[in-house]
Amino acid sequence: MTFGWILRRARRQTASARRAVWAAAASFLILGLVGGAAVLGLRATRGWMNTVGQGVHVIAFLRDDVNAEQVSQLVDRLQRQPSVARVHVVEPAEALVRLRDAAQPATGSWLADLEPGYFPRSIEVALAASADLAPRAAELSRRLRGLDGVTGVDAMTEGVARLAAWVRFGQRLGWAVVLAAGIAALSFLVGSVLRGREARRRQAQVLVILGETAGNIRLPANIALAAAGLAGALAALVVLRLAWPAVLVAVERGLGIAPVPVGFFLGFWESAIGLTTALVLGWVLGYVSTPVPGWVDA
Amino acid sequence: MIWLEGVSTLRAGRPALSDVMLGVSGGELVVVHGPTGSGKSSLLAVAAGIRAPDSGAVWIGNHNIVGLQASSLPYVRRNVGYLSPEPLLIPDETVLENIMLALAVRGQAIDSAEADARETLAMVGDSAWEGRLAKSLSTGQQRLVALARALVGPPPLVVVDEPASGMGAEEREGIARALIWARDRGCAVLCATSDPGFAEMLVDVGGRRVDVEAGRIAGAPAIGLVPNPVHLVEQGEAKSGDAAEVIRLSDRRSSGEESS
Repeated sequence: MTFGWILRRARRQTASARRAVWAAAASFLILGLVGGAAVLGLRATRGWMNTVGQGVHVIAFLRDDVNAEQVSQLVDRLQRQPSVARVHVVEPAEALVRLRDAAQPATGSWLADLEPGYFPRSIEVALAASADLAPRAAELSRRLRGLDGVTGVDAMTEGVARLAAWVRFGQRLGWAVVLAAGIAALSFLVGSVLRGREARRRQAQVLVILGETAGNIRLPANIALAAAGLAGALAALVVLRLAWPAVLVAVERGLGIAPVPVGFFLGFWESAIGLTTALVLGWVLGYVSTPVPGWVDA
Repeated sequence: MIWLEGVSTLRAGRPALSDVMLGVSGGELVVVHGPTGSGKSSLLAVAAGIRAPDSGAVWIGNHNIVGLQASSLPYVRRNVGYLSPEPLLIPDETVLENIMLALAVRGQAIDSAEADARETLAMVGDSAWEGRLAKSLSTGQQRLVALARALVGPPPLVVVDEPASGMGAEEREGIARALIWARDRGCAVLCATSDPGFAEMLVDVGGRRVDVEAGRIAGAPAIGLVPNPVHLVEQGEAKSGDAAEVIRLSDRRSSGEESS
C-alpha cells in the first residue's frame, strides 16, 4: 500500500469511527490539562512555599546609606527582644539569588539582566511561635518603622503559618486529584480505543487475506490515534495558556498571598515533551488496538 | 502456478485434507467439486496461502509458502484473489472501497484502482451498489462484491470458494462468465462448489473438474499438466524449468500409482 493509500485509509477509518477518535482526542485533552496543571501547580506552590517556608514574620527594608555598623547594632537590638527567634540580614546579592531560584526557567531572560544593586538590603525577623504571633509582629513592625535608616516594613503577619499548612495540604490534595484524574482519563482513553478493537480485527483479517503487511495494516490506526493525541495535547496547551494565569491569580487572591514571581506557563521543552508523549502514546494505542493475525482461519 | 504437494491438514483434530496433490496452471480453470464437509474449503484456503497446512508443500509461483517467514506471506497473498466461504468485507466501507482495497495492497494508483473496481463491479454485480456500505447489502450481494474484489486486477491466481452459493440462474451465469474472463486473461482459477449444476456449467466452458471426498482427491490424477509453460515465464513467476518439473512430478506420480 502506498503512502497515499495509507493516508486515505487513515482518513476513512477516522470518519467511520468518528466518535471513538473524538473520545480519544478528548481523553488526551484531559490528560494534557491534568499533566500541565500538575507541573504548573507544583511550580506555583514551590514559589509560595519558598516565601512561606522561610518562617519570616517581619521584613525591614534599609536605606542605602545605612552602614555595616548601624546594621549590626540594629540586629543586636532585635536579637535582645525576648519574642524574636531569629534575625537574618539579606544582602542585595542574596535577594537576587532568591528571586532567580524562585522564578524557575520559564520566566525568561529578563532576570539575567538584573543586578544586585536593584535590591535594597533588608533584615528578616522570625518571631518565636506563640498564640499572639500576629499582634507581636504588628507591634514590632510599628517600632521598626520609627527607627532611623528603615525605609519600609512588611509585616507578614496574617496567617503565615496557617498558609504554609494549607499549601502543604493543598499540594497533597492536588497530587491525589491529579493521580485520580490521570487514571480516569487514561482508562477512558484505553477503553474507547479498545472498544473498536473487534471492528479493527475484522478489517485486519480482510487486509491479511488481501496480502497487506502487518505494519501497513496498523499504520492508519497509528496515524489516526497519534493525530488525535497531538490534537488533544495541543488543545490542552492552548487551554492552559489562556486559563492558567487567571486560575493562578484567583487562587492567590483566595489564599490572600502576593503573586509569586514564577513563570506562569510551561517552557519550550516541557511543552515539547508533553506533545511528544501524546504522539507516542497515540501511536502505541493504534498499534495495540489493531490485532493482526498471521495465518487466517477463514 | 499453484502446486499442492502431499498436503494434509487437521480440522478439530480430524483430517480435513489427506495427502492432496493438485496443480493449477495459468490460463486454467479447475473446479473442485464435492459435498459439504469434504474438505473443499480447507483445500482452497491452503491453496490461497491463507491457512497453513499441517504437512506438505504449497507452491505459489516459485515459492513454497510453507517455508516462508510470516512477514513474507503478504507478498505472496497479494497475487491471489481469494473469495472465502463467508464473504469477508469491511462492513463500514463502501462497496467500491472494499473492491479497491485489493488494488491498494498491490500499490496501484488510486484513480486507476477506482476505474478498475467500477469495471469489475459492473461485470460481477451492479454498478448501483458502489456507494453503498457493505453492511447494507444482502449476503448474496456481499458474496458478489467479495468475488469482484477477488477478480479485480485480475491477479495471477484466483481462488474462489462457493461463489454461486444461494445465487439465481442469471447470477450463476454471470459468475461463470467472470471466472472465464479471468482464465482467459491468463489467471490460474481454482473454484470450489458443492453444486453439481454449477460445476457442470464450468466444465462445459473448458473447466477441469476435480472431485474431493473426505479430504482426498477422487478419481483421475489431480495434477494439472501445464498447458502453456511460457505463460509462467511471461508472468515472471517461474522459470521454464519449473513448469517442466511440474510435468515430471506429475508423470512420476502417475506412473508410481499405476505400478502400485
